[in-house]
Amino acid sequence: MNATAQQFDSEPANPFVDSARLARLASLSRAELEELQLRKLRRQLARLNATSSYYRARMTQGGLDPDKLSTLDQFRERFPLSNKTDFLADQTEHPPFGARLGIAREDVALVNMTGGTSGLGQEIYGRSQHDVHMQGYYHALPWFLAGLRPGDVAINCVPAGGLTTGGWGPGEGLRIIGATAFHVGGTLSTDAKIDLMQRIGAVHFIYASTNYLHTLTEAMMRRGIEPKRAFPMLRTLFIAAEGYPLEWAERIESLWGCRLQEGYGSTQCAGFGASTCADGVFGAKGGRGLMHLFEWETLFEVVHPETLEPVASGETGEMVVTNLSIEGSPVIRFRTGDAARFISWRDANSGRAWNAIECGTIGRFDDMLKIRGNNVWPSAIDAAVFSFGEVAEYTGRVYTSGDGKTEIEVRVAFTDAAATCDAATKTTLIERIRATIKERTNVWMTLTVCARNELPEFNYKARRWKDERQQGYRL
Amino acid sequence: MRNVQDAADDTARDHRILSRMLADADVLCECGDALLAGQYRHLRGRIAALLDITIPAGEAETAA
Repeated sequence: MNATAQQFDSEPANPFVDSARLARLASLSRAELEELQLRKLRRQLARLNATSSYYRARMTQGGLDPDKLSTLDQFRERFPLSNKTDFLADQTEHPPFGARLGIAREDVALVNMTGGTSGLGQEIYGRSQHDVHMQGYYHALPWFLAGLRPGDVAINCVPAGGLTTGGWGPGEGLRIIGATAFHVGGTLSTDAKIDLMQRIGAVHFIYASTNYLHTLTEAMMRRGIEPKRAFPMLRTLFIAAEGYPLEWAERIESLWGCRLQEGYGSTQCAGFGASTCADGVFGAKGGRGLMHLFEWETLFEVVHPETLEPVASGETGEMVVTNLSIEGSPVIRFRTGDAARFISWRDANSGRAWNAIECGTIGRFDDMLKIRGNNVWPSAIDAAVFSFGEVAEYTGRVYTSGDGKTEIEVRVAFTDAAATCDAATKTTLIERIRATIKERTNVWMTLTVCARNELPEFNYKARRWKDERQQGYRL
Repeated sequence: MRNVQDAADDTARDHRILSRMLADADVLCECGDALLAGQYRHLRGRIAALLDITIPAGEAETAA
């Protein structure tokens, strides 16, 4: 991989100079950081032992007395894991929040729900006034690290409000920082957003899902707008929610003329649990960069999804999350289903004792497609397809053909510039994309070309894949 | 950059101030005015969160 971090005229402010508190947290040794985690964990478990019958039962099951908890290893060994199914069952038995709520019903100040894209059901979270601020802090923290400062103009492209944590946390976070925020997500069309940004001119920060930043960039190029000339004050593009190829990241930085930063977050984390630092999404020596975990706020484990043993540095595992400060519907040793490549604090080599996960490769264990005996993640196909700058968008479907075979169709739309190429060039390009997909997934797929307006425009998380195999067997 | 002990001293001082503010906010939340009490609980939540955010990070703060 040749992609590397670029140099820009305007680099973000240094967070460890601007915040003594952050500098202090960065100075903690690993032993000191774990002592802080243990102190907060004991407090959290003692509180839940008194307020949540769900968690009290789990502590009893594991034989764990919060007052006698002496090591983090003891917690990992004795506290049983929870997953989505456990939470949904708890909610059914004790509607609407479940017995895991942990605060008085009248102290619920904000209700958040998960997206429900798994098809299993939506987890419901009741947050206290304290938690509403913490959710804001968990958005402010990565953005402060990325250089956002009071008075900066921020464009929030993620739809605001509603029932999701991502709908409420960003607004709180931007207010906590003191930025001038325009919450354009979900309220304006992409073209209307661009018009507004052009009227504002001095934009410093854009927050969007990975996919929506792609959509926004594509729309600007279509209108003949060169982002780095239109927005010369821009210092940070901050993305979340989806993986991407490094070639894409390099092109984005080049087009916008500023640093691309990334965060890892979820409703279970109550916001962001990790983010990039000075080098953005690129490693200091090229290749993929790291998102450093905010471990003094959230206890993270990265485990093998079958053995449940911690993975070694450099390996991919499932993120298991424990909230150390959240009081309403906290998660304790919750299996998120998120797949991440773990990098230990020693290997992260950042000068801090914070563990890390790799940028751009966060995926899901549960959206894996089993195709002809191969485990195929949509994020791997995204990475293959979008490593070609000529591709504007794509969708895919797995289906059963008339003779009962599994077939995969990928519909690709080219950018305006690539769409005008001659037929022979397009054929060569399609073959290269097809070969790249095969290289990364071990599956040959059928590619067809279509017009850009035949494919959807995703405003938040992209849902590019449909598994229609069950339909193929219907009579 | 300021040294670790200076930063620890500041955080410990902030934490003590916030502890006092939380105790005062708890008193406000007990008021009989339902309209005001809701707003006091809002304020109390913010203070409680900041108390968590400034929690002593290590021995330096505990000693400060």
